[in-house]
Amino acid sequence: MKAVIMPGFSELIIIINPTGEVTREGLLSIIMPWLYAPWPEAQQKGIIEVEVKGDTLRALLIKLQELYKQVNVDFEPINPMTNDLDFDYDVFVNGKNYVTLPHGLDAKLRDSDEVKVKMLWRWDG
Amino acid sequence: MEEKGLDRAELIRYKRQLTIPGFGEEGQGKLKSSYVVIVGIGGLGCASATYLTAAGVGCISIVDFDTVELSDLNRQILYREGDIGKKKVVVAQRRLSKLNPAVEITPVFARITEENISSIIDGAQIVVDGLDNLSSRLVVNSACVRHNIPYIYGGVSRLRGMITTIIPGKTPCLACIYPEETQWGGGLGVLGVVPALIANLQALEAIKLIIGSPSLAGKLLSFNGDDMKFQVYEIRRNESCHICSSR
Repeated sequence: MKAVIMPGFSELIIIINPTGEVTREGLLSIIMPWLYAPWPEAQQKGIIEVEVKGDTLRALLIKLQELYKQVNVDFEPINPMTNDLDFDYDVFVNGKNYVTLPHGLDAKLRDSDEVKVKMLWRWDG
Repeated sequence: MEEKGLDRAELIRYKRQLTIPGFGEEGQGKLKSSYVVIVGIGGLGCASATYLTAAGVGCISIVDFDTVELSDLNRQILYREGDIGKKKVVVAQRRLSKLNPAVEITPVFARITEENISSIIDGAQIVVDGLDNLSSRLVVNSACVRHNIPYIYGGVSRLRGMITTIIPGKTPCLACIYPEETQWGGGLGVLGVVPALIANLQALEAIKLIIGSPSLAGKLLSFNGDDMKFQVYEIRRNESCHICSSR
């Protein structure tokens, strides 16, 4: 599947197999510029296009973490120890938290689905 | 702020840090003349308060509304079993004063609110984060921006932690990233050494800020104790931030 990624200001917004043109127009300025890191040209273009093998949420997240790992950015939504979503992240598909999907991370993504990956800060003390 | 000189006892007490290039008596004098407010004297605050007191920060206010519980003792190193049930700020003030009697430690027994935060941080050169929830942090963040006081955020859970230095008008503030309390963050568990580690980095950053060379302004330092990895990332201001964008 094709995934078009738009870094938001503290999250990634990903459109699956978009039917029309995807742009960052109207989005707030990005506050975490390393989200663009694997694709330097994306800073000018505003979006990132990648091809993902597989059609599940898990396949998408694994592809993303492979790409970030190549440029030494610590972006690892799938925790290798638990094989589940790492607690540094929250993932939503069309506004719904992934845990509410029938197959969770193994839910199949459809054309035009919007996936949001939020990076969570730490608040305990 | 007027810089204070050092007496003979202070020259001996701080000997090991006076020899650090770029620090010296001038730097120590700046520390002695400084006033730091530590909001929250739990896992983070106990460690940052200890090292800021040891380093010779002149005046420190410690703010908390809580009493010591048995479940605090895995990480809140200023307290002992015999302190259970006592006000944290009172116990902490006593212990810190024994560590360095020259430092003026002011205990403030209060829960942070929109109404009292301005008076709590009034006159502070720096506010150091020792809180355990986002909503109180947003209150502190907003007040620090309003009063133009640098705020050193630190947060932890499990084996992970983060820190950034917020300089109002120059760097992103917490509301740039979390405009509202949208993330529930407590109760995930904390291993005591992690807040101690993050708080010591906060204390170091506070000292560097007082001396004049902060390292984490506009940067997010992230520590992951699962694989012992430190990362430092650039963060930028949210031009639409409802707290800091007009500054």
